[in-house]
Amino acid sequence: MTIVAEVIMIVGALIAVLAAVGLHKFATPYARFHAAGKASPVALLVVALGAGISLGWAGSALLIVASVAMILTLPVGVHMMFRAVHRSTPPTLDIDDLAPAERFARDRNK
Amino acid sequence: MTEAAIALFVLAALIASVRLLRAPNLADRVIALDVTLISFMGAIAAHAAHTNSSQYLILLVVIAIIGFTATVSAARFLQHEQIGLGGPVDPGVPLESSDTGPTRGSNSAASEIGGAS
Repeated sequence: MTIVAEVIMIVGALIAVLAAVGLHKFATPYARFHAAGKASPVALLVVALGAGISLGWAGSALLIVASVAMILTLPVGVHMMFRAVHRSTPPTLDIDDLAPAERFARDRNK
Repeated sequence: MTEAAIALFVLAALIASVRLLRAPNLADRVIALDVTLISFMGAIAAHAAHTNSSQYLILLVVIAIIGFTATVSAARFLQHEQIGLGGPVDPGVPLESSDTGPTRGSNSAASEIGGAS
């Protein structure tokens, strides 16, 4: 059982390394935020699964609370960074699906 | 073998820290800091499995919420910074001014946002 937990934890650590490498490798800010905002919570979930197998129920309770807090908060934060970048940089995208919605919001509030 | 997991998490944190030092703008720095933080959270979980004690696991909950607060405040700062500079694109001021309606008690912040827009 411990070997299963250790292999799962190493897989989670490899996912975290991939997320950090993706920050360097991708070209646009949106692609970089995808690498950070999708892969890193998955890394934490996988390593929490491995540590939970290794620790038993007492440790798993805290790990579940930490995972739920991470799942609830991190996508919201990364989404707000997406929105800030989209609003604060000149339009460089070929297809911008957010532009009509932002135009509508601006006109409505005028 | 949990040492290998901890070492890989520290490697991920180092790679993200290099990105933090070399990032082209503030948004990339904030995201790199987020990845560094999550790597250290994973290292804390692997360390708990290594020592077989759940003593430090409550730190994970605290770090998750603190990191969320940091990311959100940096995102808000980025939007309002662009308003002050008068950037090339209208960054959607009316959405923000309708959001900041209930915070009427703080006069200084309200007048600052109104003056900048």
